[in-house]
Amino acid sequence: MSVWKTNEPDVKKILYVQTHGENDPERTATPFFLATAGAAMDNEVCIYFTMNGPQCVAKDNGERIIIPRKGGGGKELKFFIEQAREIGVRFLVCQPSLDLHGYTMDDMIEGVEMIGGAAFNDMACDADAVIGF
Amino acid sequence: MDVIKEDQVLDCSGMLCPIPVVKTSKAIKAMEIGQVLKMIATDPGAPPDMEAWSRQTGNELLRSMQEDGKFVFYIKRMK
Repeated sequence: MSVWKTNEPDVKKILYVQTHGENDPERTATPFFLATAGAAMDNEVCIYFTMNGPQCVAKDNGERIIIPRKGGGGKELKFFIEQAREIGVRFLVCQPSLDLHGYTMDDMIEGVEMIGGAAFNDMACDADAVIGF
Repeated sequence: MDVIKEDQVLDCSGMLCPIPVVKTSKAIKAMEIGQVLKMIATDPGAPPDMEAWSRQTGNELLRSMQEDGKFVFYIKRMK
């Protein structure tokens, strides 16, 4: 059974892939807000966090990662995470990239789902769009 | 230009992408099919965004215009 939930042909499936984490705060918010816009268009949307990506959905990092803004006044990543979560974007991780950072699923914020490389590739083949960052 | 009568107004002035899209999506889902939402935005990305949003979701963008320096959209809930 696919990780995708929809069977309706007119609901498109968009998979975002986030590889950046706390060392690149300016690269962390965009996948969340593009995913939010995608979900607001009634698509099914998931973000797969791999490499440094799981740092974006680790507990307390939502408050710690500040999206820089020239002139000051950057926003917390949490704002973008919550916006995406509220509209139904799902967050996926895989075990090897948790191991990379010494994380377990207990270190992830609520709602993060574990998948593996096979499920990821299966999702990618079934998706209408795969967008990587 | 014909006057379009809206059933509800949503003011997204000052809000940036993707908040106008998110709020429009929520507002239209709470309305009845056939009703019209008037959405006001100042984000310069709003005109192409609302055109794309309407095409993707199957709701009808009746009009997209500028008024008093703001972008104004009339959207009819179709399904």
